[in-house]
Amino acid sequence: MSRAGGGNDIQWCFSQVKGAVDDDVAEADIISTVEFNHSGELLATGDKGGRVVIFQQEQENKTQSHSRGEYNVYSTFQSHEPEFDYLKSLEIEEKINKIRWLPQKNAAQFLLSTNDKTIKLWKISERDKRPEGYNLKEEDGRYRDPTTVTTLRVPVFRPMDLMVEASPRRIFANAHTYHINSISINSDYETYLSADDLRINLWHLEITDRSFNIVDIKPANMEELTEVITAAEFHPNSCSTFVYSSSKGTIRLCDMRASALCDRHSKLFEEPEDPSNRSFFSEIISSISDVKFSHSGRYMMTRDYLSVKIWDLNMENRPVETYQVLGENHFECCWNGSDSIVMTGSYNNFFRMFDRNSKRDITLEASRENNKPRTVLKPRKVCASGKRKKDEISVDSLDFNKKILHTAWHPKENIIAVATTNNLYIFQDKMN
Amino acid sequence: MLGKGGKRKFDEHEDGLEGKVVSPTDGPSKVSYTLQRQTIFNISLMKLYNHRPLTEPSLQKTVLINNMLRRIQEELKQEGSLRPMFVAASQPADPLSDSFREAQPAFSHLASPPLLPTDFVSTMPLESCLTPASLLEDDTFCTSPAVQHEGPTKPPPPALQAVKDSFSSALDEIEELCPAPTSAEAVAAESAADDSKAQPSESNIHKPEGLPESRTAEPKLMDPLPGNFEITASTGFLTDLTLDDILFADIDTSMYDFDPCTSATGAASKMAPVSADELLKTLAPYSSQPVTPNQPFKMDLTELDHIMEVLVGS
Repeated sequence: MSRAGGGNDIQWCFSQVKGAVDDDVAEADIISTVEFNHSGELLATGDKGGRVVIFQQEQENKTQSHSRGEYNVYSTFQSHEPEFDYLKSLEIEEKINKIRWLPQKNAAQFLLSTNDKTIKLWKISERDKRPEGYNLKEEDGRYRDPTTVTTLRVPVFRPMDLMVEASPRRIFANAHTYHINSISINSDYETYLSADDLRINLWHLEITDRSFNIVDIKPANMEELTEVITAAEFHPNSCSTFVYSSSKGTIRLCDMRASALCDRHSKLFEEPEDPSNRSFFSEIISSISDVKFSHSGRYMMTRDYLSVKIWDLNMENRPVETYQVLGENHFECCWNGSDSIVMTGSYNNFFRMFDRNSKRDITLEASRENNKPRTVLKPRKVCASGKRKKDEISVDSLDFNKKILHTAWHPKENIIAVATTNNLYIFQDKMN
Repeated sequence: MLGKGGKRKFDEHEDGLEGKVVSPTDGPSKVSYTLQRQTIFNISLMKLYNHRPLTEPSLQKTVLINNMLRRIQEELKQEGSLRPMFVAASQPADPLSDSFREAQPAFSHLASPPLLPTDFVSTMPLESCLTPASLLEDDTFCTSPAVQHEGPTKPPPPALQAVKDSFSSALDEIEELCPAPTSAEAVAAESAADDSKAQPSESNIHKPEGLPESRTAEPKLMDPLPGNFEITASTGFLTDLTLDDILFADIDTSMYDFDPCTSATGAASKMAPVSADELLKTLAPYSSQPVTPNQPFKMDLTELDHIMEVLVGS
């Protein structure tokens, strides 16, 4: 492939990489989720050790007009700790499964983070001033002897080094028997849903001691269980609409106005199986690992083992676009800001982008070998074994342990964050 | 391609890797469809139980593997490869229940409170009001027994225990047999599993002659897995079969020469050339590379295991 394809010929350049350099990966450092906030200024990552790291984009620098601001660490905090379920004698992992940002309403930022069982609302606020000149306290905090006070003064605020504080404001616990795989904030910005393998619950952001069950696919007899929920998301514009995907390759769209318990879907999206492709693994292959609405709300994207599919919400019987990509059960996918390009991760630290307009696709690699800023990434090509051309990679040499499970696209600009096992890569398009 | 193809006559006494054409479109294959199926069955069982005992197993993974096992079981049923005597022998486990109740106090924690909350939830007018999530009680208690068990006993239902013990004991035998099961051990395992069917009152508590070490492994195996247990043991898919039918019936066990412990750790980060290629061929039929009839369709145990690992992410 001589030209970079995909995305109106965006030329992707390496921008930054975060994380340890060595190959010896501590398990706690494995990145488990990546999410830009609504403005794109903040980028949050969660890891297996229960930590959240937030990066902030530098303000655009006049002298560096050739690139957008870099992302630097803004805040780090321990969101979840490991717990022990005494009833079942099982550990509850502290791994952060999902992070979702709330839109900014005041000076502070809010995000939801969740592990398998508990969702937390975190407030991230800045402090860059502090009061000085107390009457009863010394500057170092010691109390003064009141008898030595001869004059009074009014404390004033003086600037200090920026401090970013994260504090848990709400803890939403004890509502999920199974492992939470998704959280999604409603467009009303007051409620959100959380989904585990068999149930979806609706919460109000202000209320922690109660949530309402809106989907329950648990059969009365667990022997009959053949299908689980794999992902769920609220519609970006319609506050009563949400979708959830299943391990059998179906997506159900539900309207909360129809019934309190949305066990009956309003729409069922399923592509009929090609009987000639049936194999032992058919069902596993069709299991959907991620579902995401487009920003417009007109389309949704699903990721299964072998493909990324774009569905028109008005057509249930088949997707409108299908892009082939090799993947696995837990790969995520994402849209760019204008819904014209979709991106997903693959093996060997490759990630792929599909331009829906030009129908071109591109495969790129996240590796430290390309880490000169403003170097345009070279497209990679995977070929079947035995037919390898120069610069191509044979499918046999793919490292199936190097997966890019989590990718995120800046909501407004061509900046992407791609997480390998324990490193976060940031790429941006080449600005001239 | 692992497609089902047309119905073939299954020769139970055929062993080894003699080529059987899977379907006319697949070209010559070296491995019989049935052998692949059995291999996948074994691997699935391994995957089901081969995980960190400290954390709850992934329900999604369990369900996917269970579905695969069920499908294989259905196929086997349809092909009539079951030995009739074993179908009858594994009927509801009432006679076994007493012994299991005493023998398995470890499962007392699965004792349920009265099932009223479930009933309560199900009779509420769901259409009209939201169900607080707090009413969805803990699910380990919700399994309805395959056999109604009267008396003031604590669930887990006896059918669960009977099924669990019969196939979990066989599972232990598999685990004990790895890394290198031999035919002798396979025969011993088969007889031990037969023993467990024939003498239900004592087999799962006392050690059969053949494999003394397997019984001690059993409580270890099942205790940390109550969640998983509920799903897999209660599927009932193994009540009609004994594992011996599928695993050890006249199959060349030299195939099973792999160590699931190392495979679970993903030791092989790169697949053998043929397997990766076959993976794509079997799973990506849209690829432009046609299946060349010349290439032998070699699918050995490690390759299938790797495919399962990649697919189910264990």
